[in-house]
Amino acid sequence: MTDQLKNIKNIARKVGSAKKPIFITVIVLLGITFLLDIFVVDRIFDILVYLYIALGALFVLYGIPSLYASRRLMLYYWQRASKNKLAVGGLAFILFLILLAIIGPLFTADPTAVNFEEKNVPPLGFALEESVYDLKTGQFITHQTTGTGEHPLGTDDKGRDLMAMIISGASVSLQVGLFATGIAIALGTLIGVSAAYLGGKVDNVLMRFTDIMMTFPFFLLLVFIVFIFGPNLALIVVIIGLTGWTGTARLIRSESLSLRTREFVMASKALGASDGRIVLSHLIPNVISLIIVIATLSIPGVILAEAALSFIGLGDPNVASWGMILRAGQQNLDTTWWVAVAPGVMLFFTVLAFNFLGDGLRDAFDPRSNV
Amino acid sequence: MTETILRIRNLKTYFFTRRGIVKAVDGIDFDLLKSECLCLVGESGCGKTVTALSIIGLIDSPPGRIVDGEIYYDSLNLLECPPDQLRHLRGKEIAMVFQDAQSALNPVFTVGDQIAEQVKLHLGMNQRQAKEKTLSLLKEVGIPSPEKATDYYPHQLSGGMRQRAMIAMSLSCDPQILIADEPTTAVDVTVKAQILDIFSQLKNARQMSFLFITHELGIVPQIGDRILVMYGGRVAETATVTELLNNPKHPYTASLIKCLPDIAQTRDRLESIPGTVPSLIDPPRGCLFHPRCDQAMAICQKEAPPPFTVAEGHTVFCHLYSLPKR
Repeated sequence: MTDQLKNIKNIARKVGSAKKPIFITVIVLLGITFLLDIFVVDRIFDILVYLYIALGALFVLYGIPSLYASRRLMLYYWQRASKNKLAVGGLAFILFLILLAIIGPLFTADPTAVNFEEKNVPPLGFALEESVYDLKTGQFITHQTTGTGEHPLGTDDKGRDLMAMIISGASVSLQVGLFATGIAIALGTLIGVSAAYLGGKVDNVLMRFTDIMMTFPFFLLLVFIVFIFGPNLALIVVIIGLTGWTGTARLIRSESLSLRTREFVMASKALGASDGRIVLSHLIPNVISLIIVIATLSIPGVILAEAALSFIGLGDPNVASWGMILRAGQQNLDTTWWVAVAPGVMLFFTVLAFNFLGDGLRDAFDPRSNV
Repeated sequence: MTETILRIRNLKTYFFTRRGIVKAVDGIDFDLLKSECLCLVGESGCGKTVTALSIIGLIDSPPGRIVDGEIYYDSLNLLECPPDQLRHLRGKEIAMVFQDAQSALNPVFTVGDQIAEQVKLHLGMNQRQAKEKTLSLLKEVGIPSPEKATDYYPHQLSGGMRQRAMIAMSLSCDPQILIADEPTTAVDVTVKAQILDIFSQLKNARQMSFLFITHELGIVPQIGDRILVMYGGRVAETATVTELLNNPKHPYTASLIKCLPDIAQTRDRLESIPGTVPSLIDPPRGCLFHPRCDQAMAICQKEAPPPFTVAEGHTVFCHLYSLPKR
């Protein structure tokens, strides 16, 4: 048993020391398949799938080892955060959502399969009464459809299974939330820390640029770009990411301003560290808790932005996002109310869960707060 | 006698503030010899730290600027060195130990990681070599069970341990010169003695030059070879430690020595030097010390004193010695 454990540890150590080459190999392989995909095979996977794999490799090779290395600290933060029951609930819901998005599609029907025989089936436990003109008797009769176990959440007006649509919508929302926030946070952190560290003119230029970006109505820009280039989920994600970094940049800058004058920055300068090194390995690690909190709190905004875009008809028509379902459902709200309610409820709880988790994390990371 | 490793000539570092020009360092000259320990002594605000930062090129600019002078490391003029080359010199050739190790160490990394980073950066070692080097460095500065200490974060170590870790970090690339900026000020007396011990051991073990900055004259004899007394951004007196402590020539040095507390002697009050350090924005004319000097003469208010060599290697900047015979 202990021998086995040792073996595993040895392998882990070997993998750990060869982190960089492994990661570069993964990225290069991904790049090659991506190019093949585009130019030779013509699209097997979506662009986002490549992003997923790259991020996954990054997380496994760099995220997990550093989490493991600081497991005591993580345990401490977990103990603090877990006192906030709402945050734990939020985290549980988010984990459930991730699980749903990953393994849910394996168990549900095809969310795009149209079946007019079974249109407008209400959810399990509900019934829909319709007045139907009966051709045989020439009279209006009341026809009752009851929900079945086959479609636990019912179907929409084209007979598509709502459960399957909601589950595929979950993966869309999470993709949008994580990637757009990832881009925004990375940009915001880099700009904020650089502005604070370099100071002077650079600070001024970067922060005025941030101000300009902030005053620009980004939703309008989003609508405009989608109108020009056509609705495409990857494009929407990138645009939300490229416009959503401004608040992050400001917060990170103000936090790093106090760090810049700390003596350890001077000390590492005195020991020959370059500016880039100080920013990347001294300043950013010191604001990482703030970054995590900002990221968690900005994910719901991004998810809502995508839903809003889909709702006004500018979402990617090829993916069943929650906003899309909501848009389809609101037209028949008086009869088939469940089509709009289901994605609405999911959006509500998702946004709430991220907000609760973000608040909990903020309290846990703040050494001054006594949770 | 021995080779000069650092030669400073007429160094002037001014700070251009809204209230005026602060002449923090105003024309100092000194040589640091190979494997000697030169102590820079003076009251707070007399330009000791600014001198050190000028040497390694870390004067914040603006508002600070080195307006004149030469700093030669071997035959390289550091003031004309391109920033990139200077950066490579820092840490590898000239390293610095800061006063407060608590804030000079990055709170989010373990001590071992921070030292290893230094080694990897300058010496291009891999992970394993860096780890071994880290352990040997920590052992050298007298940290018990270095294997454990590498995994500690700075806040988990005691003050003395932190200061040792900081010293280990600055030693990591075997620098030629170690500048220690009041390394014993933020620690208590017993730790202070230990830190001083480490410095003396290092001095004996390594062929390294030390520039030891302190405001405590009392600790100088333990480690110093020569001493340089600064006042108001200028040199007041320089001599070997024994010479200077036994035979101070400058009235300022003499009063500094008088201020040293002596446990054996029972006094009601500690001595102090009347007056305060002069404002460096609007310094007094002539000798900067004359408003506080009890032997001031008419000339002291008009002219800054030139250097007078009173003995072998003993130079004093004071008009008292311009007279043919006192």
